[in-house]
Amino acid sequence: MANEAVVTINTDADVVAARQKGRELATELGFVSTDSTLLATAISELARNIIRYAKHGEILIAPVQSGDRVGITVVARDKGPGIANIPLAMQDGFSTSGGLGLGLPGVKRLMDEFHLVSDANTGTTVTIKKWKR
Amino acid sequence: MRETMEKLQDQYTSALRNSIVGMGESALQQAYELGRRALADGLGVLDMAAMYHKALAAGLPRDSTPEETALMLEAGASFFAESLSPFEMTHRGFRDSNIALRHLNQTLEQEIKRIAHALHDEAAQLLASVYLALDEVAGNLPPAREHLLKVKGLLDLIEGQLRHLSHELRPTILDDWGLLPALKFLAEGVTARTGLFIKVEGESAPSLSPLLATTLYRIVQEALTNVTRHAKATQVKVTIQHELQTLRCSIKDNGVGFDVSSLSARTGERGLGLIGIRERLNSLGGSPSLVSTPGHGTELVITIPYTNSQEA
Repeated sequence: MANEAVVTINTDADVVAARQKGRELATELGFVSTDSTLLATAISELARNIIRYAKHGEILIAPVQSGDRVGITVVARDKGPGIANIPLAMQDGFSTSGGLGLGLPGVKRLMDEFHLVSDANTGTTVTIKKWKR
Repeated sequence: MRETMEKLQDQYTSALRNSIVGMGESALQQAYELGRRALADGLGVLDMAAMYHKALAAGLPRDSTPEETALMLEAGASFFAESLSPFEMTHRGFRDSNIALRHLNQTLEQEIKRIAHALHDEAAQLLASVYLALDEVAGNLPPAREHLLKVKGLLDLIEGQLRHLSHELRPTILDDWGLLPALKFLAEGVTARTGLFIKVEGESAPSLSPLLATTLYRIVQEALTNVTRHAKATQVKVTIQHELQTLRCSIKDNGVGFDVSSLSARTGERGLGLIGIRERLNSLGGSPSLVSTPGHGTELVITIPYTNSQEA
């Protein structure tokens, strides 16, 4: 199975690189094109958050398998200030998404699995999974 | 708006051109960011389709072979999908919210039933044991009898209020007497509690389905709550009219009024009431409209399609 990739996120150009890796893996695993698009979208949103709130971070993209299912997991990590109020961040309308359901709640809806860990000492880690249909 | 759109169109056209000439992922990221901006600027999916169509017409070179054209169109399709992706996110969000809202209304209805039951049955039982205890005290302490009679009088009042509240909450009165009497009953209760003068008028409507009657009752209830909370009004007029194929219900107060345009921009205390009302009306094909100007009171008008032959 394909290898995992880690992309350091500092600038907008890195966002493009992370999307590229995600899309390559999706194509390799035979994802339908709309799901590749959704994965790229989710990566964009997570990378955006890293640049905006933590300045630096990394995004890991790796294949996953569970029984017969194959999928892709994306882990976005930063050592930024952490999310002070997680329920608020998961609420539509918080910060940049301006009530439109973008940002973290938007990512959660696009993916099959979503996991968020954040505190002031260690920063934020968002883990998402999308299974192949 | 026009200017924003033209600016966006220029950027979209040039990004699409990049995508067609093989700029790959960075052009797609641009598409995504443009879609996000269009969304923030209030553009819709159809605007995006029009924008894509224009950009494509401007971006496809005329002298390309059919094979080249096919490849370019493929790149264009990815670009288009990418620029719509933010809309997909919000679309899913709105769908979720709608389901949540419907669920919320159902939960609310159950909660109301529970509270009505607690007020009516459980509180009444407690009161009954208080009466018994008082009788006992009166038997043992004859001099206290006078005082105890006063206490009993107060308890009677409390019992009456509790019963009234419980009937307002769960209007079985609707089934027994119909909408207008039920609304008058509701109004009496609000008047007794708040001093607000409420006039309920209307033709005694032909038989309404239980769903329709309950919906209207709940809406008037919500509207009266809003009036007592925010309007600083002294008078309210509730009117039910049956015009042709429409049932019309108006709740009009003489309070301070407010700027209606500020309501849609804001979510919060006052907004949720109207959202809840709208959701209740959706299932009946009805809609609310709110007319208000600061200093000149507020009128909420509900219209619901209705025919006499309507089945329950």
